[in-house]
Amino acid sequence: MNNRIKLARTEKSLTQAQLASKVGVTRQTVGLIEKGRYNPSLQLCIAIAKTLDKTLDDLFWEEN
Amino acid sequence: MEKSWIATFLPKDEYKERKMLYFMAEAVFILFALLFFYLIIDLLIIDLDIPAFGLAIFALLFLSSYILLRYTFAGIEYPDITTKKRYKKEKKAIFMRSLIYLAIYPIAYIIIQGFPTDWEGVLDIIGPAILAAIFLFAWGYLSLKKSYKKNQELLDD
Repeated sequence: MNNRIKLARTEKSLTQAQLASKVGVTRQTVGLIEKGRYNPSLQLCIAIAKTLDKTLDDLFWEEN
Repeated sequence: MEKSWIATFLPKDEYKERKMLYFMAEAVFILFALLFFYLIIDLLIIDLDIPAFGLAIFALLFLSSYILLRYTFAGIEYPDITTKKRYKKEKKAIFMRSLIYLAIYPIAYIIIQGFPTDWEGVLDIIGPAILAAIFLFAWGYLSLKKSYKKNQELLDD
């Protein structure tokens, strides 16, 4: 699943490790989500969105 | 969703937890198929006459080996090892753990079984200890290498 997490994370000046620590997963998991190689649960999506001060639409909605 | 009791034994990380569940489900599915074919062959074609003890050992070994191999090759054991420095440090730690095992095994053996009376007895202790230590190191190193490679691919561009 394509997403804009990496962009939002860099806007917030957070590293992958920092974001991972804030949402309670490993750095590997954050890397996999950013690359679109793992689809996170809704619970984790919400945690990431809250940490990055974004909505789910901002991060995950695919524009046509 | 309410989690099952098995969640107590699974990793806290969401991705790792899901992967472990996949590996466990794969192992059970394959074992189910193998036992099913065994039953069909044994009942309808030829009496294989494998003792229940043998089947139980096979099932236990298959389940544990399959899950362990999948876990190792998936590169998920060391999710935070991303730098060469940490990689080398962890490699050293794996080596030390193998050495500690190599030292503890003979001591535990002597405490339980007593001192060996001949050279054959000494070899019976040292041989398996060395083999197990080599296995522990090789397995740990392989897992670390796989994890490191995977982590490198996922780093910030």
